[in-house]
Formats: sequence, C-alpha cells, structure tokens
Amino acid sequence: MRSRFDGLRDQVWELPKGKQKLALMEEAIRVADEHLTREDAYEARMSYSNMAVESSYPERLLISFSWCLAEFDRKPGEHSAHMIMWHYKWVLARVWQLPQIGKSEIERIFADFHDRCLKYGYSLRPYYQQLVHYNLARGELDEAQRYYKEWKAAKRDHFSDCSACEQDSYGRYYFDLNQNKRGMRMLKPILEGKVRCRSVPQTTYVNMMEPLLKLGQFAQAKETAKKAMRSLDGAGYLTEFGSILEYYTIADMSKAVKLFEQTIADGLACRMPWMRFHYFVSVRLFLLQWQSGNRRKKLASPDSVTLEWVEQEVDRLAEAFDRRNGSSYCRTLSANKERQMLKLKAAYAAWKG
Amino acid sequence: MNAMNFQVNLNGMIDLLSNHLYSDNSVFIRELLQNAVDAITARKKRGQHFEPQVTVELHAAHTAAFHDNGCGLTELEIRDFLSRIGSTSKKEEMDAGDDFIGQFGVGLLSCFIVCDEIVLVTRSSNEGAPALEWRGRPDGTYSIRELAASIPVGTSIYIRAKEDYEHYFEHDQMEELLRRYGSFLDTPIVLDSQWGPIRINDTLPPWRMSREEALTYGEREYYNKPLDVIPLRSSIGEAEGVAYLLPYAVSLQEEKRHRVYMKQMMISEKNNRILPSWAFFVNAIVNVNGLKPTASRESFQENDLFYAVQHELGESIKRHLIDLSETDPDLFAMIIRIHYASIKTLAIEDEEIYRLFMPYLSFETVSGRMEMREIIQTLAFSEQEGARDTRLYVTATLDEFRQIARVAKAQNMIVLNGGYVHDFELIRKLTDIWDDIEVDVLDVLDFSSRFRPLRPIDALQAAPLLAMANKVLKPFQCESSIRWFEPAEVPVLYNTNDEINFLKMAEKTKTEGNELFADVVRAISDELYDVPYARLCFNYNNPLVQKAMEAEDGELRRTCIELFYTQALLMGNYPMSQEELRLMNHSLLVFMERGLGSADGGGA
Repeated sequence: MRSRFDGLRDQVWELPKGKQKLALMEEAIRVADEHLTREDAYEARMSYSNMAVESSYPERLLISFSWCLAEFDRKPGEHSAHMIMWHYKWVLARVWQLPQIGKSEIERIFADFHDRCLKYGYSLRPYYQQLVHYNLARGELDEAQRYYKEWKAAKRDHFSDCSACEQDSYGRYYFDLNQNKRGMRMLKPILEGKVRCRSVPQTTYVNMMEPLLKLGQFAQAKETAKKAMRSLDGAGYLTEFGSILEYYTIADMSKAVKLFEQTIADGLACRMPWMRFHYFVSVRLFLLQWQSGNRRKKLASPDSVTLEWVEQEVDRLAEAFDRRNGSSYCRTLSANKERQMLKLKAAYAAWKG
Repeated sequence: MNAMNFQVNLNGMIDLLSNHLYSDNSVFIRELLQNAVDAITARKKRGQHFEPQVTVELHAAHTAAFHDNGCGLTELEIRDFLSRIGSTSKKEEMDAGDDFIGQFGVGLLSCFIVCDEIVLVTRSSNEGAPALEWRGRPDGTYSIRELAASIPVGTSIYIRAKEDYEHYFEHDQMEELLRRYGSFLDTPIVLDSQWGPIRINDTLPPWRMSREEALTYGEREYYNKPLDVIPLRSSIGEAEGVAYLLPYAVSLQEEKRHRVYMKQMMISEKNNRILPSWAFFVNAIVNVNGLKPTASRESFQENDLFYAVQHELGESIKRHLIDLSETDPDLFAMIIRIHYASIKTLAIEDEEIYRLFMPYLSFETVSGRMEMREIIQTLAFSEQEGARDTRLYVTATLDEFRQIARVAKAQNMIVLNGGYVHDFELIRKLTDIWDDIEVDVLDVLDFSSRFRPLRPIDALQAAPLLAMANKVLKPFQCESSIRWFEPAEVPVLYNTNDEINFLKMAEKTKTEGNELFADVVRAISDELYDVPYARLCFNYNNPLVQKAMEAEDGELRRTCIELFYTQALLMGNYPMSQEELRLMNHSLLVFMERGLGSADGGGA
C-alpha cells in the first residue's frame, strides 16, 4: 500500500492543476486513511488543501482542513502550527462563501481563529484583513471600514500575507467602496513592479479593469485586460474570468464569446456558491448583450445554459446569501451591474469613436 | 545653484548586482565582452577602417586583460559615465540606432564582483587623443591620469581576481565562459595565454548553418541526436534561431531551458519564456535583436512586442510540423509517438494543430488503443452495418472507464477513456471539427439502465436478493439493481461516482473533523454533493447470480452478496475500508467452511 500511495503522489506531481489531480490525491488520502499512518493522512491532506485552493473546488479545502485541524489539536506537537494556521487563513477567506453556513457559525470560526492567533503569538492582522473582506462581501461597508483601520494598525509579522497580496487587498478594498482613484493609487507599487508574488499582479489586473472603465481610462483597461488574460490559467480563476468576460462584453464581443465558451464548463462544474454566483452574474451580463444583438452564431455551450436558466441560478444564489446575511446586497448587485454595464458600454463606444 | 551628484559607495551596489541582479557571477565576462563589442561597433559607425578584434589575455597571479580596438574613451567620456552609475556613453548613439548590446552602463561594475580594482587603459579614436589610465575601486573612488606612453586606439581592462574568485581566471574556465557568452559574436575574439592564442568564436551560429550542420551542432550541444531541427524566425522581433525536436518525451512540469542570445551575445541558457509554453518538446537556440532586455540583461521585458515575437516563433514550429506531415510522414509519425503528450497539449490550444494531429493521436478504447482515424472508420463501419448505437462515448475518468470497459465492449459500444490528461477535452472537441460525429459523455452511474430490464416474473424471482443486497450494502452507500447483460461471465457491474473518494473523505471528516466545522462539512457533503456513491448491478445472465437468487438459505445469499461486492471492489482496484475487508474475509471463510465441511461430510 505504501508503494501505491507513493505512486499516486508521483502521478499527482505530473498532472496540471485540476480535477484529475484532486481525484488522484483523494485516492491517496483514502489509501493513507485505510492502510497507512495518521501522519501520512495528515501530510496528504495538507498537500490536497493546497491543490484545492488552486482549483475550482475550494470547498474541498474545508473538508480536508477540518480533519487536519482536529488532528493537529489531538497532537499539537507533531505538526507545524504555522502551516495549519496558514491554511486557516485560506479557510477564513472561504467559509462565508457558502450561504448554508449561518452568521453565528462564521463568527465562531472567526473567534477561534482569533484565539489561535493569540495562542501562537501571531499578529491579528490577517484576522482583521479577513473580516474586512467578509463584511465587504455582504455589503456591510461601515463594519468593513472599522476593521480596515484595525487591519492597518495591527503589526506585520511572518504570518501576515506578503506585501504584494496586502497591497492588492488594499486596492480591492477601495474598489469595493467605489473609491476607484484611491484604489488605483494603492495598486501603484504593484503596477510599478516593486512588489509581486505568485498571485499578484495576475489578480490585480483583473480587479482593476472595472475601476479603470469607471474612471474612463479605456486604453489602460484594454492593456490590463490583455495582461490579465495572459497571466491567468486554470479553473481556479473562475471569478476572475467572469470579470474579464464582463470587460469583453463591453469592449470586444468576439473575445467575450471565446472566453464564455472556454469557461462555461468549469462554471457549471463549480460548486462553491460564491464563486458560482459571481461567475454567473458575469455570464448573465454577457448573455443579455449577446441576445440583444441580431446574431446567427450559436454559442458552443450546453443547451441548458439559457439566459432564463442563468437568471434563475443567479437569483437562487443571491437569495440564499441575502437570507443568511439579512440584507439585499446580492440581489441588488446583479441589477446594479446591469445598469452600470449599459453606461460603460455607451462610454466605451464613444471613446472608440 | 550647482547640480550635485549623489556620492555612492559601490559596495552595496555590488552586493546588489551579485546577489540579486545577476544569476551567475561569471556575468562580468559577458559585460566586458559586451563593452568591447559595443566600442568596436561605435568605432565602425565613425567610419574608421580597422580590423576589429577583442583579445583576452591571462597573466600570472590570476590577472586578466580584455583588449579591444574599438572607439576608446576621452577623459570627458570617462568622467561622464564611468564615474556615474546608470549612465552610459552609448546613450546618444543608442537613440540614433540600436546596434548596441549594453544599455545600462552598470556592466563594468559587475567586475567588482570578482576583483577589488579595475584598471582601464584607453585611447580614443578621436584625432590626437591621449592615452589615459582610470583606476576604480569598489568604494566608489577613482583616479584618472594621462599616460606618456603611446598606445593603440581602443580600451584595455585589467582585473585581478579577489579571494575565492580565482577560478574564473583559470585558462579552462575562462575559455569555457568566453565560448559560452561570445561564441556567435561577429567580432573575432581571441584568448591569449602562455599556451598561445585560441580563436573563441570560429563557428557559425546554428541558425546560419545548413540543416545537417545544425543537427550535428545540436547533437554535440545536447548529447542527443535531435529528431529534427526547426528554423525559427520572427520578423517583428528581428529574431532567428533553431528549435531541436527532442528525441525523448518530456514532462509537462519540466522547466524549459532555451538558450537565448541578444545581438549574438548569449544572455541566458535557461530562458523558459521565449517560446510559447506548449512548445515544451523542443530546445531552442534563439537570437533576438528587436526586444528590450530586463535590467539584468538575462531575459526580455514582457511587453506586447515580446508576446508577438513569442507567437511568431511558435508559428514557425507549427508550420514546420504541418509541412512535415506531407514531406516526411515517417518522421511525422515518430514525432507523434514520442511527443504524444505535448502534441495533445498543443492540439487543445490550436485548432489547426488539432485538425492535423487528431486523426493520428491514439486513445484507449474498450477494444484497445486505437488511432482516432481507426476509431472513426470503425464508427463508419458499424453505421453501414446498421448498428443501433453509432455514437462515440467518453468517460470522464480512468476509473469510470475501467468500471464499464469489459461490459461496454460486449455491448459493441465504442467507449473511449477520457481519464488521461487532455483526452477528455480532445474527444469532446471532435464534434466541433467533424459535424457527423456524435460524442456523449457516459454517465457510469446510469450505465446499467441501458441494459434490458427483467421480465416481471424474473424481477419477482430476483426481488429477495435485491432487497437483501440493499440492506447489506447500505452502510457502504451502495445501491443495487439487476439487469440482463453480456458478457455472461461478469456477475456484477460495480459503478461508482467519480467523487467517491472525496465523499468518503467528507464522511470521515464528519466523525473525525473539528467540531467547529461540523455544519460546514455537512453542508458541503449533503448539499453541494448530493449524489449516490455507488451502484452494484447484478447480471441476471450470470450462472452464479442465478444460483444466489435460487439459494433458499438466507445466510448463504447474504454471503454471496458480500463476496460479489468485495470481489467487485478488488477487481476495480478500489482501496477497501477495514469494514469491507472484514466483509470479504467473512464471506470467504463461510464458503471455505461450507466447502471443507461438505468435503468432510462426503469422506465420512
């Protein structure tokens, strides 16, 4: 069984990121669970968590993490506290992305993370950072602003996100508050190449496309879209592809069609509600524009993907999130985006002449 | 107000150069060669007639001298740029044309990585210019003096190795590094030492060689005979080069190491960006004149022009492969055989390549490995024969394929294994290219419903077996059914969801995971993944199943079910849980006891 386990892990290494990679790792975990040591099962799950984050199945991280956290607590001296806490940060960024999880549970998980940070002597910086994003995602802007101050005030340590990721998050924060100029100023060190990491500037390019359009900086938006398309790969960036789809729906319909056809299968396969919601909000905007034109081409997508079905899916997810959050933020998001798209499309057409 | 310059202690700068900017300390040789070649280019531009040459001399005490007969420097030029970092005498000329390699003027400083003093002796090609000596040290101090002696036009740079860097000044090492960086430079470069002069750059670059010569060159460089050599060209990037088709398969994860030259000076031996990522089955040697280098001059700035050049170079490879399919079908077939995986990656990216290669790519089918053209022929043949089902089926995973392969073959279905990297996508794309082919993704959980249902009377007979199977297998999340199917020797068909291992992991987390996440785990496994795990379909056509149905002994029937189930797991190579192992052992023991018991009874 050891050789089968090792063989599976070798195969995993050879594969590009995606579902097959996860499936093989799941088999390795099963082998470890049934026939090898708990140490093997732990290490395999920790690797698996890494892969799940990079794929379009981030919900699987929550499954592997929950087991690892319990195992870590059972034998705290045997595993790295830093690693499990680092994974906990990923979890914190995703746990609210399931509308099935109630507010009180989310708060309990945040509190647990908070206590563990103190226990292991880490700064609360990542804790506040995640609270900012959680509150922004449910439209609680005052709360988000309050936590933003705490985030900036907390000291940086080796448990904090790297400076590139943080700088990117500052930009995102201001974009979410619709303070686009300020957001762009925050991204300056990234765009000047002073800070970068594995995911920045790829995600930065995507985040700044809509703000650039809103600021009327169409030429820069065009350049940024090109860079974003070059730098993103894989279904793990589904939401980001949705944002680019929105941009191309405004700027270049033929590219939008191509991107839609390339990503729709991953969109349909994605089960993480928040990712799915955002992707299909973008798809809806695309299909609205697509159907408003007099087009002969048939989109290369399953017949079930009609505008009506997408609208139902968006409504279903928005309602689930809003019910949990006790707000109407998600339901208005889609309508607001539609209005804004019409405005931006007209402005872009005027710029293009 | 006077303009003031910053006073810079170069020690920090040198640390920056050696530890952060350059990936290899031997880069000082490239920088010195570069300065020499640029000086010669500048002198040529001044219209002066001379025999260009760069000579590198090795002296005692690990001292090296780099001589060139280029334009030399005046005192003003020395003061103007050597003493100021980031400035360069090439700037004005650079704006006018772009024949120079260097751009940043920090090149000479890279010598301080290996020495503590640079002595530069120079005479400008300007009429009546004096001989000058400049001595610079890493702390930023320098001195200039005029020399009385008459020296030829040009520049000589003297450096002596500091401790731990002597090896760069050994003859063998210096020769190797000069060849590495300067082999393809046009200006003659000579290494002179106690063993006499050696010409460094006496070979043509491979992109100027004939095909045969380039192949021999590739074999020497890579210690392997390449399958073929592909000429590379990009007019917008003023780039030319060769790509060697590797004679062995390479992993997707392997870091590419293309050798890249800029204006014929080697800048990197491990560039992985100059060709598109799909081109991982070649090793390229490329010279680029039209791209801007990064500060380290070891790669290029990745702007629009860069990507256009990358695309053009990729197109060269594609065109070559397309031509090969007509001009040399044998070589074409060999390339497919060896670079099967790479070509699949390429075919997904590019429709033209897809059309070209797809007929020759082989896939695993229920009847063994077949090339796509054979598969399509088989399909056409079965259509002519009036077969009921002329669709092509593909499974999403290897495991699903294994589950149904044997049975699907008996039904004359053409099922392809989509479980290998890219195969699923490639097969699904068939309908985009060939209108008359129908491709369906096989739902294995639903596979058994394709078989003939039983007559009501037979179903009645099977009902007790089914009821017991559902009861026995419920803890293993397995549902049972019964159908009549071929081949008769297969007693059961076991199909699982491709997410079975994930679901089992979730199940384990429910009992062993952190309490705080209990609802999260439940929501994911019960709401996001609300699917059955497995189905066990009994074959009514199988004699053993018939016997199990007929068994009146409930315990025996139960044991049969346990054995059918665990054997199906074994055959499918599924990792068994402790409980499933116990089930298997139990059923085997029961049969052994019954068998041995009856043998005992017979003997008594």
